[in-house]
Amino acid sequence: MIRTARLTLAGPLAAAAAAVAAGFPAAAGTLPFAITHRIEVTGGSPIAALAFAPDGRQAYAAAGDELRSFDVATGEPGAVVQARGQLVGLATSSEGGGSLYAAVRAPARLLVLSLHPLRIRADDPIRSGAPSALLYELGEHALYVESRSGHSVARLDSGDGKTIGVARLQGDLAQMAGDGRGTLYVANPAGDTIDVIATDKMRFTGAIPTPNCHAPTGLDLDPVGRRLFVACGNGTALVIDTDMGFAFEQLPIQKGAPLRTVFTFHPGGPNGWKGGAFIAGDGPVLDAIRMNAFISYTSAGSMPLSGPATALAVSPAGGQLWIALAPHRADVEILALSAGGGAQ
Amino acid sequence: MSGLMKRVRAATLCAALAAVAFPAHAALAPWSALHGKTVLFVTGGADSPTPNDDALVARHLEQLGWVVHTVDAAAPASDADGAALIVLSSTANAHVLGNKYADTPVPIFTWNTYDYPNLGLTGPVLHQDFEVIDPVQHYPDSFAVLYAYGANITSEISRAVGLKPRLFGTLYLEPQTAGWGRPGPGGTVIADFKGIADHAALFTYEREASLEDGRVAPARRVAFFLGDDDFHLLTATYGPAASDPNMRSWAIGLQLFDTALRWAASAPPRMPAYDPSALQATLRHVAHGKRVLFVERMDAGEGAEADEHMVAHLRSLGFTVTVADQSDPERVRGQDLVIVSGTCSKWKLANKYADAAVPLISLEGLMSDTMHFSGFDRYVDYGEHGEERESDDPAESYLDIVGAWNPMAAGLKPGLVKFAADPGVLKWARPLPDAIVIATLPNEPQECAIFGYPKDARMAGGFIAPARRALLPLDNPTYDELTPQGSAMFDAVVLWTIGG
Repeated sequence: MIRTARLTLAGPLAAAAAAVAAGFPAAAGTLPFAITHRIEVTGGSPIAALAFAPDGRQAYAAAGDELRSFDVATGEPGAVVQARGQLVGLATSSEGGGSLYAAVRAPARLLVLSLHPLRIRADDPIRSGAPSALLYELGEHALYVESRSGHSVARLDSGDGKTIGVARLQGDLAQMAGDGRGTLYVANPAGDTIDVIATDKMRFTGAIPTPNCHAPTGLDLDPVGRRLFVACGNGTALVIDTDMGFAFEQLPIQKGAPLRTVFTFHPGGPNGWKGGAFIAGDGPVLDAIRMNAFISYTSAGSMPLSGPATALAVSPAGGQLWIALAPHRADVEILALSAGGGAQ
Repeated sequence: MSGLMKRVRAATLCAALAAVAFPAHAALAPWSALHGKTVLFVTGGADSPTPNDDALVARHLEQLGWVVHTVDAAAPASDADGAALIVLSSTANAHVLGNKYADTPVPIFTWNTYDYPNLGLTGPVLHQDFEVIDPVQHYPDSFAVLYAYGANITSEISRAVGLKPRLFGTLYLEPQTAGWGRPGPGGTVIADFKGIADHAALFTYEREASLEDGRVAPARRVAFFLGDDDFHLLTATYGPAASDPNMRSWAIGLQLFDTALRWAASAPPRMPAYDPSALQATLRHVAHGKRVLFVERMDAGEGAEADEHMVAHLRSLGFTVTVADQSDPERVRGQDLVIVSGTCSKWKLANKYADAAVPLISLEGLMSDTMHFSGFDRYVDYGEHGEERESDDPAESYLDIVGAWNPMAAGLKPGLVKFAADPGVLKWARPLPDAIVIATLPNEPQECAIFGYPKDARMAGGFIAPARRALLPLDNPTYDELTPQGSAMFDAVVLWTIGG
């Protein structure tokens, strides 16, 4: 059922891609994706986070203290909301008729916004430290707020924003990923590990080493195959079986940090890849890992970017991958990619 | 002599005696003792197939503390001089390797399956004595090799890993390349594929054990199941999974690799010297205060005299011997050893003593099925030579020592030894991989005449040995016909068995 929905949306986006891709640096390798939109955002503040609405029709960008929305189909900008503080993380959910969550660094707060219209519905303080990242887990009705300076991850109830528990971690904290059924993974670039948290009591349950993969920062999870995709600063990506904590695939990627990773099934539709993980960072390159089967992964090519990536998001419903690039001259650029730029 | 000196001397004597009596195995060396030692890592060099994991293995060996000297297959064997261990990768061409390392008195750890015959680890026939399973030629089996069975649970490697008699995961999930071999009776199968001991995934030879080709292992030998490029897929658990005992005991591929490496590089046990007088002296010391239940067919015709002589011998050594008839109810309480005579009728003895929680020696090979020593198929799993109308094989007086390293061999050298003065009936059985095989019948490497199961060993039918078990083939009158070497082996088997 999910596959059918993705199929219907992927077609028109792929068609749009061909028209917009002209003039952009050609994709390197065999990465079969092309630029659908190239969106310039004035103001010059780096985009710290990107998120898609659950239905894939809207995208949101956190730039400085502004929340900006975009129409995914056209790339046209929409509403802008002032957050009164620097935004560092975004997440969306279908709860409450559709919600957007935004983490504000200082003063540390969680904003809950309605999507239609885009408006702040709640503004709650966060007491576990200055936020650095935000993650929503549908299966747990939970928000996870990471604080790099506070070396902690807090679990918040996504309904009322109340803090349920806080896990204290050693080392550095980078990207988070959750399996939606009680386990949260946090990249620890200082320890070359993925730290694991049991979310029922927010307790640390172990560290998965990232062999030959140093300074892991990018992290996302395939919740079906239970694979973690880890991107490391030394130019290595790992695929880890979370049931065993075992890294069974090692693939080359760009060197640089901080890297971000996103994963989605059928990024090019059901006739294309089974799944794909996308990695971007200071590179400036977009790398892709292709899932051929749950036990088979290959490097799927790369695409040069015109600047370092500051945020990355993927929309299974929208069939698009958005990349925010660091400010260049006065503008920030968002690239929207979809399948169709090459052979699948 | 001062009291202190007496106590020191007594303690030293006890330790020495215990070492003679009980050391089936030497201890694994701690990693710290191996740190800084040189490993000669033999690969295919520029001719290696790709992809391969040789670089990963070299780095892993270095992380374990070894100094790794990598050479290619064409390097002279003298490169191993001074090395603590030779590691042979499957990327080295077996034809180039030849048998250059076969006689090297340096331990060898190899996953070069095609080279197994060159080292004498297996016979020479592909698919029968050894085989490499790969996803191209053997696609279904390349999934089967993701699992192996704990065949031996009492070897030092098995105990260190906590190997159980059940399946475990060898390599991570994808169809993989792996090799198996069929070692000779002097080898120890630790893990096998599909529960078939002849398809051994991991097997070893102790120093001085007889190799498959009849030569003697000049140092420890380990054969491991890896392929060219699957070292990185050896199973292990990390993170929360490492706290789950089930997952931890399932994903032991890397732990087996490391432990087998450590075993190979550890010092082997000291070879016992053939010295019947010293052996008897040790046995006298051990016998003090020990009780033996000797089970026989009382008033037997043939064999009664030999039984009397055995009992007399045991009593002369200091054992307190109680003689029981085969039809007496089982009474082992308070006994330190049960010896079941060859005069007993298998049919009348029934299943008595098979499960006794005290050490036991069976002198009757035909009871191997009831005693859990072997399978149930008479003349296939156990049998005899020299019995008219019951055996096609002639009477025999020699045994082939294949486990000279073990104290049960009484310090006798590997190879043929005259066991009885005249050819007679000799019984045999095919024990499971947990048994330590000491001797086979000549030219019949699968027909094991003397072997022992350590305590906790997995015996036939899944029975776990509650105490040591041994087979010593003494048909009714044979004890009286033993050569001095045969008598020494009798004492050695008694000494080993009563030790656990």
